[in-house]
Amino acid sequence: MVGSGEIVVDGIHKVFKKGKPDEVRAVDGISFTINKGELFGLLGPNGAGKTTLIKCISTLLIPDSGSVKVGGYDIYREPLDVRRHIGVLTGGERSLYWKLNPVENLRYFAALYGVPRKITKERIEYLLDLMGLTDKTRVRVEKLSSGMKQKLSLARVLIHDPPILLVDEPTLGLDPYFARFIRDFVKNELNRKLNKTILLTTHYMDEADDLCERIAFMNRGKIEALDTPERLKQSMPQKQVLEIKCQGTLEREMFSSIEGAASINISHGDGFAYLRLNTDNPEIILGNIIELVRENAKIYSVRVTVPTLEDVFVHLTGASLKDG
Amino acid sequence: MWVIVEEVRKSIRILLAYPAEVIFWVFSPLLWVIPLVFQGKALVGAFSSTQFGNLAGTDDFIPYVLIGAIISTYMFSAVWSMGNSFRDETYYGTLEHILSSPARPAYILIGKGLYNSILSTSFVIVQLLICVFIFGLEITLIKILPIFMFLLLLIVGLYGIGFMAAALTLLVKEAHGLLHMFEYILFLFSPIRYPVEVNPITKTISVFIPLTYALIALRGLLLNIEFNFLKNSVILFGIDCVLIPLGLIVFHYVEKRTKTRGTLSDY
Repeated sequence: MVGSGEIVVDGIHKVFKKGKPDEVRAVDGISFTINKGELFGLLGPNGAGKTTLIKCISTLLIPDSGSVKVGGYDIYREPLDVRRHIGVLTGGERSLYWKLNPVENLRYFAALYGVPRKITKERIEYLLDLMGLTDKTRVRVEKLSSGMKQKLSLARVLIHDPPILLVDEPTLGLDPYFARFIRDFVKNELNRKLNKTILLTTHYMDEADDLCERIAFMNRGKIEALDTPERLKQSMPQKQVLEIKCQGTLEREMFSSIEGAASINISHGDGFAYLRLNTDNPEIILGNIIELVRENAKIYSVRVTVPTLEDVFVHLTGASLKDG
Repeated sequence: MWVIVEEVRKSIRILLAYPAEVIFWVFSPLLWVIPLVFQGKALVGAFSSTQFGNLAGTDDFIPYVLIGAIISTYMFSAVWSMGNSFRDETYYGTLEHILSSPARPAYILIGKGLYNSILSTSFVIVQLLICVFIFGLEITLIKILPIFMFLLLLIVGLYGIGFMAAALTLLVKEAHGLLHMFEYILFLFSPIRYPVEVNPITKTISVFIPLTYALIALRGLLLNIEFNFLKNSVILFGIDCVLIPLGLIVFHYVEKRTKTRGTLSDY
């Protein structure tokens, strides 16, 4: 048993295409507890099983085995009670009726969640005001920007004022301004001010690091580590990271012969390749590394920094958060 | 109950967002009826036939067929709308958000069915007006109540079939072909367009189709054909008592199956 908490997941399994050659163990014996008022993160690459787990907790998917309790209610025996106590927010834009306006959307979802008619109107006004959408009340959703749609999706999730929120990749596809708004809102308004219990899944390391009190690393359906972001970073055997920003082609195998370099992570972004090596002695390996990189790429910068959650994830799983 | 009202309201709002669909609903009853009239006249040479009367109980071919068309409008729109409703929600991207709410799917489906019944009723009213003003069909006030009673008995049973059609769509995702086949089977084996007495096989099979009893009763009332009021109403009521729980059981089973297999939101 995992103990008591607002969300208690105990040994759940979910296998798709069971017994077939392309069988997928999407969730493979996961257990954890989320306490009341906690902002808990599930961090893992695409395909790690995060969304499957969220679907199991929100009663959209029936696990093969194990138990899940949400707000004290069992997902198998009391699914309607579970649904009354949760709000599910997903990334992407298609969770609203695009041909309806924000008020019509919220009124419909209020009815689905059994919000009394007499308080629905004031609840809608409050939420649209909170999201800064009061001037868009009669505009069809299809005319709103992606960020505004996600704000409205947040309002939809909050229409019945649930104590527990399941937030799945909430900033996916959003521009930096709206992504920042959503992150701030989740942390400051929902978690700190309204004391909501939040399970957030993301494959953005910064998002998990910035928002979550505790983080579970999820990879291939399993939880690889679970702790506070600080403790996870402190758990790294090597306390420094050598980072090289360059343009060109880098392969992990190129650096496998370097002694003193632990896990190696190569990622790409903004037209650059980023090589990160965990090490205790960056000054000793630096010369060899630069030589190897120069064979295939043009170096733009070199710096020594501290491990991030991504480095911990690579160290533990051998996979990158950007994999999948 | 509010869920049902809001479902109807939402569906109407979405319909109104597509002006071409509204034009369809305004003009199609008329366009649908006219070919039937010409077809009848071309086949029989007039609007009535003694040969036809021997089988159908009325010489008037056109009103007979039009009533069949009207009733089948209810039948097919209920099955189509409820069958495809969750597929539409998958297309909108809202299905999982609906099914993760505490609202019972049956209420949502009833809301979708009611919305379609409202559309069908407006469709049927136009068709009935055509029957009355062009073909001299007589509808007296005294007939209105029993007509509505039989329509209600029919619609309730149709919702049971609609639950099963929705379940079928959740299961196979693309159920257009199967729903079309269901439609064609009904056209063949129930007296929608022709008296099933014309062939002993169709006559025998028609006994097992609920639509048959609604058609007999409503034609009896509207065209003054003799029929057993009590027998037809009891049979329709009995069919409703079976179809509604059966539809709910089938839907519940299929919903659970798709949640187990993880295919709920597949398109």
